[in-house]
Order: sequence, then structure tokens, then C-alpha cells
Amino acid sequence: MSLHEIFEQFHQQVRFISIYIREAHPVDGWWFGGGIQESLVKRVFPKVSTDLYDPTTIEERRAAAGQCEDTLKYGIRTYVDLMDDRVNEAYAAYPTRLYLVDMEGRVAYAGGLGPYGFKPAELKNAVEDCLERIN
Amino acid sequence: MPIGFIKNSLKYRRVINEWQRKYDAMAPRVGDIAPEFELEDVTGEHSIRLADFRDKKPVALIFGSFT
Repeated sequence: MSLHEIFEQFHQQVRFISIYIREAHPVDGWWFGGGIQESLVKRVFPKVSTDLYDPTTIEERRAAAGQCEDTLKYGIRTYVDLMDDRVNEAYAAYPTRLYLVDMEGRVAYAGGLGPYGFKPAELKNAVEDCLERIN
Repeated sequence: MPIGFIKNSLKYRRVINEWQRKYDAMAPRVGDIAPEFELEDVTGEHSIRLADFRDKKPVALIFGSFT
């Protein structure tokens, strides 16, 4: 199940927040662009960007986040981590990660480290368990 | 796969692994109070706080980037 499908199913009972953090594969970092690796990446993740430099200002990061939001069209509103990466570090989120926070402000689900630990199906199960406890 | 890409990948994989080891040791676990935050949206005009949802709704946090 995709994140978008999970959002569609549960968005009235759960608030979904996308938090944009520093780039996983910028041009000036671990770049996946150019050559066969780009073809492979695009085959699996057709909408991913391969031409972004790592933002150096909050304005640049917001612009990248806006492009991402417009392209992916998940329907999930995106908020942008500050340039000191404080939220990224607090949640050890880099390069990608999922969490669920319950109504008491406690972590109900902490996904594995990305990218391999990024499992939307686990988030879905956690959402269902959390809602069952509430109802 | 070009050799430059492979060498680059080994280097960055190591860097990321070290970063993850360092910060995951301090990351919240199930049952912990989730770290509070206040962030602005892509326009910079609207902000959100995790605490806004206390006693209202569970919150799913999706961390990532466009690349």
C-alpha cells in the first residue's frame, strides 16, 4: 500500500505531516544522476528528482520542498526542517523515515532507518492499532 | 555501473551509516514522548506544531526529500 493510499484511507482520523529534510541524493552529494544508475532509479522511482543541489538556505529548501509537493501530489501538506536540521536529528530521520505519534504525544510507531526501513505497510498497521485503542 | 559512482556510493554509504548510528541512538522509541517541533510550510507563511494535535488526533510523520 502506498503512502497516498494510506492518507486517502485515514486522513480524516489522523493528521499526516510531511517533513522535508536535507536532500538524500543531491547533485553535490551522493548523486544518482547521469548514466545507468539514473535509468535504474527512475525505473523504480519515476518522480524522484536527480537535478537538485543541496539547499544552502531555507528559501532554497522551501523551493525544493514545494517542487516535491507539486510533483508527488500526495495531498499531504509539507513542512520544512530548518537549516540546522534540528527535527531531522531529533528523529534520526535522514534520508527517510516514518513515525506515528498518538494523541498523548507519545511515539506509537517508529519506523526503521531509511531507506530500507521505510515501510508504509507498517505505518498503516500502526495507524489501525492506534485508532482501535482510541475507539 | 561507472567506477566513480561505485566509489562515491561507498564513501557516502559510510557517512550516512555513521550519521544514522549517532542520531538513532538518541531517537525516540515507541512509548517515548515525541520530540516537539514547530515548522513552517513551503511558503514560509503557515506554521505547525506537533503539540497542536495533542488530545485531538494521532499524527503520522513522513520524513524525506525530493532526491
